[in-house]
Amino acid sequence: MIELINRPLVRLTLIGLVALVVQTTLLADLEFDGIALQIMLALSIGAGISGGSERGALAGFMFGLMFDLVLSSPLGLTALVYGLVGFLAGYANSLAVANPWWLNALIGAGGSAAATFAYPVVATWVGVDGWLTTRVIEVAIVVALANALVVPLAALVMRWGLVIKRRARLAPPPEIFA
Amino acid sequence: MFSMSRRRAVVLLALSSILLITLDLQGNAVVDGVRRAFGTVFQPLQDAGRVITRPIGNAWRGITQYDDLEAENERLQDRIDQQEGAFIAALATARDAQELLALNGIDDLTDISSITAQVVGESPTNFSQTVEINQGSSDGLRVGMPVVNAAGLVGKVTEVFANRSIVMLATDVSYAIPVQVLNLPEADPVVTTTTVPTTTTTVPTTTTTVPTTTTTTTAPGSASPVSAAAAITTTSIVPSPSTSIAPVVTSIAPVLTVAPPTTQPTPSSVVDINALPAAETGAFRGRGPDRAPIVEFVDQSSRFGEIKVGAVVITAGGSKSLAPRGIVIGRVVKIVERSGTSGAVLEVRLTARLSTLNFVRVLLYQPAVSR
Repeated sequence: MIELINRPLVRLTLIGLVALVVQTTLLADLEFDGIALQIMLALSIGAGISGGSERGALAGFMFGLMFDLVLSSPLGLTALVYGLVGFLAGYANSLAVANPWWLNALIGAGGSAAATFAYPVVATWVGVDGWLTTRVIEVAIVVALANALVVPLAALVMRWGLVIKRRARLAPPPEIFA
Repeated sequence: MFSMSRRRAVVLLALSSILLITLDLQGNAVVDGVRRAFGTVFQPLQDAGRVITRPIGNAWRGITQYDDLEAENERLQDRIDQQEGAFIAALATARDAQELLALNGIDDLTDISSITAQVVGESPTNFSQTVEINQGSSDGLRVGMPVVNAAGLVGKVTEVFANRSIVMLATDVSYAIPVQVLNLPEADPVVTTTTVPTTTTTVPTTTTTVPTTTTTTTAPGSASPVSAAAAITTTSIVPSPSTSIAPVVTSIAPVLTVAPPTTQPTPSSVVDINALPAAETGAFRGRGPDRAPIVEFVDQSSRFGEIKVGAVVITAGGSKSLAPRGIVIGRVVKIVERSGTSGAVLEVRLTARLSTLNFVRVLLYQPAVSR
């Protein structure tokens, strides 16, 4: 049982389910000017920061896919965007030698804004019209500001979710050896 | 910059996503099945989460929306006072309209069964406009059924699970439905008098007050719909307890309507088509939460005349439409003229307030072509 819990895939599934419940209940209710905060997106970026670009992409894809399963938007749309933003968050984090909290917040804000813009663009590309409006700017600002606060915490959660040991955490990011 | 295996993994994930999108957009049964299975597994978790998080949400709304709620409450109270009289007068017209529909063998909204549902969840995303309701396929709901509330059209059912459903709101960019636009009649000198006398019946143990509602409608103008509706005269008296005036949406109580014989034509089963209000058809579609929905492709005829701000928009019905005719959608608030043959675009203000939905009714209606 303990071994099962220690598997990253199982932990990611557990984190994803809990986050999805919070997203579809609490965060769907607590809106700022009609804008819902996006915890699944924050976790995807947190995975990229904690685990690097590859694991960020995988976790983002997984969280996005779970989110897609409860939405009426095309299946795979959120998975694609969250996977890419998880990857980019990991890559951006690998460029810095140190990993201060404010950098995580900055990556969180930038990644959230990018994902919020990318989402309606990709939706339009696959044939879902009408999402690309000026409201996206307002949504991107609110989600980015909120996720700047949430992502440093999400990175800690994802460190547990991706089973990243302290030694591995303190080691240089794998990207610099590539 | 990236190793080959890393790049390959990311490309693989992106391709998987695109494959899933393609399959879903083509209506793949496996994708639908996976979605339904996940929904069934996830529902108990979501219900439990809702129970836990609801007090937090309520506390948050109590802090942030208290002033708005108080102001809205006062405004609504004023509106109720204003509409009290108008409601009683409207009952007479509605009754006449129902008789005309029955006379001509046309389906009426009151003939359609419906199920009341409660909104239990909002949209978790910032792009699609949906709500979740607590009735599903086990209650007879099917994809496409129209959803209304006491004010008018709310949306349509887009996903159905065993005990819950997802309703796409009329403001969603994917929502579209054929509609009719009805210009309001000119302000004819219509005099409506409403009197509510009461009589008291004394019985040995209790006292009961029984009101009799009397509405007298005098319509001198022959071209108005009021006069057309008043051509059929109904007389009935309904005793009801005086303590409650509850507007029942599905059934309208008959009232006493008296048409003066000197100004009205003789009651007849022949309806003068020219006396009825003209209607134009168009296509209604939502444009997201921050922009008013529109009606476009309106085909104006000379008989209809110019569409005016304030014109009423209702569902057009028809064998292929997902909603029956006659559901009120809203009023035209702005007319945007376009050059060429594309016609005007009408911006509509919905009568139903979609931001504060609680109870809704799902009409168990399916178009004739899909029955």
